[in-house]
Amino acid sequence: MSRIRNTSNAPALPWIPRWMLALAALLAAAAFPLLVEYGVIQTVWIRVGTRALVYVLLAVGLNLIMGETGMLNLGYIAFFAIGAYTTALFSSPRFGFEVPFWPLLVMSAGLAMLAGYLVGLPSLRLRGDYLAIVTLAFGEVTRYTFNNWESVTNGPGGIPGIYRPTVFGYLVERPIEFYYLILVFVVLAVLLVANLKNSRVGRAWNALREDEIAAEAAGIHGMRAKMVALVISAAIAGVAGSLFAYYQQFINPTYFVFMQSVIIVCMIVLGGLGSIPGAVLGAVVLDSLPEFTRQSFSSWLPAIFGRDFMAGWPDFLRTFFLDFDQYRMLIVGLVIVVMVIFRPEGLIPDALWRREVHQEDPREQEHTLQTLFDIEEGKQDLEV
Amino acid sequence: MTPILEFKNVTKTFGGLSAVKNLSFTVDRGEIVSIIGPNGSGKTTAFNLITGIYQPDYGDILYEGQSVVGLRPDQVQGLGIARTFQLLRLFSSMTVLENVLVGMHGRMRTGVFSAILRLPSVVKEERKAKAKAKEILALFPGRFSEGRQGQPAQALSYANRRRLEIARALASDPKLLLLDEPVAGMNPAETMELMHQIRDLREAGRTILLIEHDMKVIMGASDRVIVMDHGEKIAEGIPDVVAKDPLVVEAYLGKRAASIA
Ligand SMILES: Nc1ncnc2c1ncn2[C@@H]1O[C@H](COP(=O)(O)OP(=O)(O)O)[C@@H](O)[C@H]1O
Ligand SMILES: [Mg+2]
Repeated sequence: MSRIRNTSNAPALPWIPRWMLALAALLAAAAFPLLVEYGVIQTVWIRVGTRALVYVLLAVGLNLIMGETGMLNLGYIAFFAIGAYTTALFSSPRFGFEVPFWPLLVMSAGLAMLAGYLVGLPSLRLRGDYLAIVTLAFGEVTRYTFNNWESVTNGPGGIPGIYRPTVFGYLVERPIEFYYLILVFVVLAVLLVANLKNSRVGRAWNALREDEIAAEAAGIHGMRAKMVALVISAAIAGVAGSLFAYYQQFINPTYFVFMQSVIIVCMIVLGGLGSIPGAVLGAVVLDSLPEFTRQSFSSWLPAIFGRDFMAGWPDFLRTFFLDFDQYRMLIVGLVIVVMVIFRPEGLIPDALWRREVHQEDPREQEHTLQTLFDIEEGKQDLEV
Repeated sequence: MTPILEFKNVTKTFGGLSAVKNLSFTVDRGEIVSIIGPNGSGKTTAFNLITGIYQPDYGDILYEGQSVVGLRPDQVQGLGIARTFQLLRLFSSMTVLENVLVGMHGRMRTGVFSAILRLPSVVKEERKAKAKAKEILALFPGRFSEGRQGQPAQALSYANRRRLEIARALASDPKLLLLDEPVAGMNPAETMELMHQIRDLREAGRTILLIEHDMKVIMGASDRVIVMDHGEKIAEGIPDVVAKDPLVVEAYLGKRAASIA
């Protein structure tokens, strides 16, 4: 009977407990720079890894709002931009400010939170997906503002020369140091989101996602709970933006285009909505895929199969793999389409979402009603 | 003594249709009162008006002497009124236990910051809440085994979903429990069992306002019956008397049957 098959409660990877996977991932992430230090892979990989970590932060943060409360935020990159610009403006020669790392990190997160609050005020009062529309508009307005408010942001020219941060008296300079700094924040964000998820607060978000009316009747202040999710996810984006600006030393509006918001959405859809390990995996895969492909075809595969192993290949295939970055959105799109068809719950699904995705058509449930009574009456154990 | 619930000339219209028309009644503490009436007579709308899902156009609704008009649903629930839904509204992907825990939301204190830090107080409150949720589920003996508590609500049979709705409502320890057709779709044996359980809830000190549209079902269970038809109260009293009221018989069976009876 399909009803019973679909309600399976088994974890996605039943043979390994989740915490061991998390620990393994953390160890792998911590050991990764050593591959570069010992010359196993090229130095560029530290940059790839650091950028991937920034996207992991963003994916984990967006997942808080999209995965837990089910609200679509299509302008998430704007909160990232606000964090980045705050840091750039207050720690660069632009206006001669040099606010220290921690206060500026708090400021960056704080302004992103304020923006989240202001976006939430009009859109969360209404039921339904108004947030998607409002955030979409907000994302564009934010980028236009940074692009056109030249007296402050220097417009398309961007803000160069962002100072290196001093963290606990230690000047963070080398790429590898940034890698570890951002990794620390990734761990903090993961812990924060995981703790919220497994608490009264996270339960309220899930309940609102499943049935807003029932959740409110059960004592949840819907608007406030959603606002909390929106503001916390904005804070994570703000922190990510600040770290990104410090690391990059230069920002301009092109880093914060709408497509970036879309990519982050794709990352969590790929990994599995509501799933923290999914968000991490989705971000790492989608962000480093282009570099991985380029490297594979320009150095690793030639090393194995000989310099001109692509000699017989048609031209378009060769350019496809060597200039993979150009086709990035195409690949992202394809990956998502394939996922939605074959594994809509994502690579490492969250238990709740897996059930939701596989939930049966209610009309069909109505249809099996009589059978259900029979189960109830006779062989109750069918259900356990 | 002030009644626990009082409707004062409440009217609610949708478009041109008066779903509830000039409705007045009271419920006293410790009573089991049933609202009955044919489909579409405004019973569920009355519940939605109490719980803040709809606002009345006219009239007032008092809970323990205080108006609840204008309050949000979560505020109403916080005052001690919990409800179930006729068209089940469980959190179907969440587990049985989690459904009950959501019902406890308003009684729990864990805030965002303590949750983020997962303070010992949070862990302790969570453990206590789970224990209490299990106690509530145990009010339905044999229906929510340990294994079933970890299953998603959507895996439950129809009757068990109805029971879970009640359990979730009970989780907030309400003084007034509103049950919207709690036995709909249950077989006679299950209905009897639930009626006993509802009486037990009253013995435990709760007031119960119950909607049912099958006259026979509530005869034994309720102290008092309010009969609605087309949004209006057409009769009120103890079940045996109301059941013989010609207006009620007519509303239920139509004029022809009424003349035969
Ligand atoms: N939100 C609504 N919008 C329009 N009409 C409604 C709404 N809710 C209820 N009604 C109408 O009000 C009347 C009473 O409905 P309801 O209270 O659900 O009846 P009952 O619970 O007694 O079967 C019905 O005619 C119904 O169609
Ligand atoms: Mg109804």
